[in-house]
Amino acid sequence: MNNQNEARDVLLDLKNIKKYYPIQAGIFRKTVGHVKAVDDVSLYVKKGETLGLVGESGCGKTTLGKCIVRLHRPTSGELRYKFGNKYRNLLSLNKKESLDARKKIQMVFQDPYSSLNPVKNIFTAFDEPLKIHGWSNADERKDRIAELLESVNLRADYMYRYPNEFSGGQRQRICIARAMCVNPELIVCDEPVSALDVSIQAQVLNLMKDLQKELGLTYVFIAHDLSVVEYMSDRIAVMYLGKVVELASAKRLYYHFEHPYTEALLSAIPIPKIGGEKRQRIVLEGDVPSPANPPAGCRFHTRCHKSMDICKTQAPTFRPLKNDPDHMVACHLADTADA
Amino acid sequence: MLKYFVSRMLMLIPMILIISFIVFIGLEFAPADPLTAMISPDQMSSMTLEDMEAMRESLGLNAPMLVRYGRWLVNLLKGDMGFSIVTGTPITNIISNLLPSTIKLTFAALLVSTFMGLLFGILSAIKSNSAIDYISSVLGVIGISMPEFFIGILALLAFAIRLRWFPAQGRTDVGLGAFGSIKYLVLPACSLGLVLAAALMRYTRNAMLDVLNKDYVKTARAKGLPEWKVYYKHAFRNSLMPISVLICLRLPMLIGGSVVIEQVFGYAGIGSRLLTAINAGDYQLVLVIVLLLSIVSLLASVFIDLLTALLDPRVRLGGDIGGAK
Amino acid sequence: MATALVTKQKRIKKSSLAKRNLQKLLNNKLAVLGLFIVVTMILLCIAAPLLTPYDPGKISLFERDSAPGGEHIFGTDKLGRDVFARILYGGRISILIGLSGALGGMILGVVIGSLCGFFGGILDAIFVKVAELVSIVPQLLLVLILSTIIGPGVPNLIYVFIFTGWVATFRLVRGRFFSLREESFVEACRAFGIGSLSIAFKHILPNCLGPVAVQLTLNTAGFILQEAALSFLGLGVPTGVPTWGNIMNAAKEIITITESPWLWIPTGVAIALFVLGVNFFGDGLRDVLDPSQL
Repeated sequence: MNNQNEARDVLLDLKNIKKYYPIQAGIFRKTVGHVKAVDDVSLYVKKGETLGLVGESGCGKTTLGKCIVRLHRPTSGELRYKFGNKYRNLLSLNKKESLDARKKIQMVFQDPYSSLNPVKNIFTAFDEPLKIHGWSNADERKDRIAELLESVNLRADYMYRYPNEFSGGQRQRICIARAMCVNPELIVCDEPVSALDVSIQAQVLNLMKDLQKELGLTYVFIAHDLSVVEYMSDRIAVMYLGKVVELASAKRLYYHFEHPYTEALLSAIPIPKIGGEKRQRIVLEGDVPSPANPPAGCRFHTRCHKSMDICKTQAPTFRPLKNDPDHMVACHLADTADA
Repeated sequence: MLKYFVSRMLMLIPMILIISFIVFIGLEFAPADPLTAMISPDQMSSMTLEDMEAMRESLGLNAPMLVRYGRWLVNLLKGDMGFSIVTGTPITNIISNLLPSTIKLTFAALLVSTFMGLLFGILSAIKSNSAIDYISSVLGVIGISMPEFFIGILALLAFAIRLRWFPAQGRTDVGLGAFGSIKYLVLPACSLGLVLAAALMRYTRNAMLDVLNKDYVKTARAKGLPEWKVYYKHAFRNSLMPISVLICLRLPMLIGGSVVIEQVFGYAGIGSRLLTAINAGDYQLVLVIVLLLSIVSLLASVFIDLLTALLDPRVRLGGDIGGAK
Repeated sequence: MATALVTKQKRIKKSSLAKRNLQKLLNNKLAVLGLFIVVTMILLCIAAPLLTPYDPGKISLFERDSAPGGEHIFGTDKLGRDVFARILYGGRISILIGLSGALGGMILGVVIGSLCGFFGGILDAIFVKVAELVSIVPQLLLVLILSTIIGPGVPNLIYVFIFTGWVATFRLVRGRFFSLREESFVEACRAFGIGSLSIAFKHILPNCLGPVAVQLTLNTAGFILQEAALSFLGLGVPTGVPTWGNIMNAAKEIITITESPWLWIPTGVAIALFVLGVNFFGDGLRDVLDPSQL
């Protein structure tokens, strides 16, 4: 496995990540069930690439992102990360190693308005993490902050301003700069533009792409907006109810999707095409089932327009396709290698 | 709704037990020795230590604390509250004589303050930034800044002594009908209620203004609802929740204030009896009175809570308003 | 290049949040008026020896119950003590009790509230119950019982106020913590590996201080009123110590109310004025610190 990872230049390898939240009831707080927010997800992220995570709200993509940054501790599973040339499980590090690993993986949050502490100026927001991660010289820290702000096209003297003096787009740029202040290798971006005006979105996305090229960053890009994900990602993982149902390169996914859920999602993107044939729009019926009580068999069968009998009883495994081993699907219909 | 009601009621029991136990323990450490408070200094000097011991024994003062607490609680449930160890009268008699008049006073004060507070609060919210808003907000701040007893004394001097509209002292129910006793109630109830009224007015105004800025009020106006309906059905109903929370929060203060006000007006209620009892070290009586007043304030806040719940569909239909989180 | 830029910008005035809020506060007329009243009265009380030659405790049986005017601005009481001097010296103690009770309660409430709000769990459950208990017993009764138990006296009264006064601040801080600890900026701190205590006290707590300051004014006002009420009943501070409440104590008798109004009206006005000042200031503070404007 490690050899395979080496060959693919994998930076982060997620193995069977599960995040269950206990549901407690009664006076004695007895656990009566679990919300399976992330259920047995295995993915890898290659160095320098952008892995897109798509899905409806509540599908567990943000939870998965927060598990990667270790804001949530997965219930089980492994997060293998490449330190130098060795893979280590992020969940079994000691205190010092753990702090060091936090430097490698950072996050940009969805809501730029709550991502910055309203009573602290920008300087303080950057200064403390820098101090913790070994920038002991105050002047160097200040230079670093100035440099970071300029790298996201903001003026260096903005560092003495407070968050309420900035627009949403500016704030998100500040958040990106803050995430980068400790020189991370991997940044988890949790819907970084969904709270912004469409006109600002492209500006922020392009900035992120430029930074990636310049610094060789790796992104895990979470979004529900498929066109944004397509623009940003090299590979895309589609999530439904805590599970990854399809994983493929961005180019391939958009034209050779295999999973009916992906098909339904993609059919919702408006494509401007003069004189083109009208694509059939697949409207999903019903609501997303509760992750506390997911349907038996394939989780998507309750809303699937291609549902068969087998789907109701047997959960499809997540397997590579016969003709493209990098394209993985969890569907009985797919022409997979071992089917 | 019924479930909500029952659970609120069940929650009262441990609260009352804990309060009674805390009060009991607390008074154990009170500096006043009940025996010395009972016997005149002359008699005390002629008594031998053995006599005093025998006296303590006969009064049950020597038993272990938990035993005395348990004994007292059981008696209380039987309706027997023991005797005042200072005057020798059964506490049940004292309570049944005085508690109703204190409850009457506090209830009257609550009525006065709720009425005035809501009225002026709503008026100044509707006519915000007008003269009435300005005047009532100034009066409101002054109202919450005055000590209750100062208001009481001023009212006493002005309306009872100078103008002679009301009796200056006391409360004599004997031989007087409901109307006869009401004139003894007006001044104390108004002075007691004024502070709460001021607080309530300020709060109502803010709560109403808050709601009036909400989109659903704009929608209601936009669809052509008459103004009074907008105020009543949307603004007032929705600001009722925070207002009732404030009343519940302030109730204990109102009951505490009744002790002071009774003293000012020489109103014969449980509060002024409490003061005499404290000064005499009559711990049995103090204990019962504090417990009862706490229970009264507990019950009253549950009552207000339920009243609001009746008006709030979220609670009525069994949702969780969750005060804890 | 960056260094040059920063050094160049050093001359630019740092916009400090505190400074900006102070400016807003100074623009609020009622707040300024309140602050003016409070500060003036505190200064008058501190400067009491300069303003009156009389000793507040000095009994002078020849000048009993004399009406205002002449040598005694506000007259004398039943023991011939100068009322004006008693109000000034009494103010020192009343304000001291109110302020230190409120400050102590604030510190206790902030510490317990932030710990409970950040860590939750059993600790939180226990303190929520304790707070509920303390707040359900009428506060005045609680103070009454406590002051009978631990006896009268200025420090004891302050302890009692601290014991009863932490609840409101506790609730407020705890509530703010519960909502703030889910904010992304807290998660960002955690992603950097900043420690829990540092997050709680350095990052979340500063966001609670506005409402806490407002609560401090409310408690100060409340405690001054309560001290007055308690001493008026004869249960607060020992009768020998001049406090606003103790001076008012004389007005328990009808004869004093009608015949010697100078004994209680100036004192009552002094209490009301000071509390009014505190409340004006608190209102202004609330407007300035409204979190929606932050």
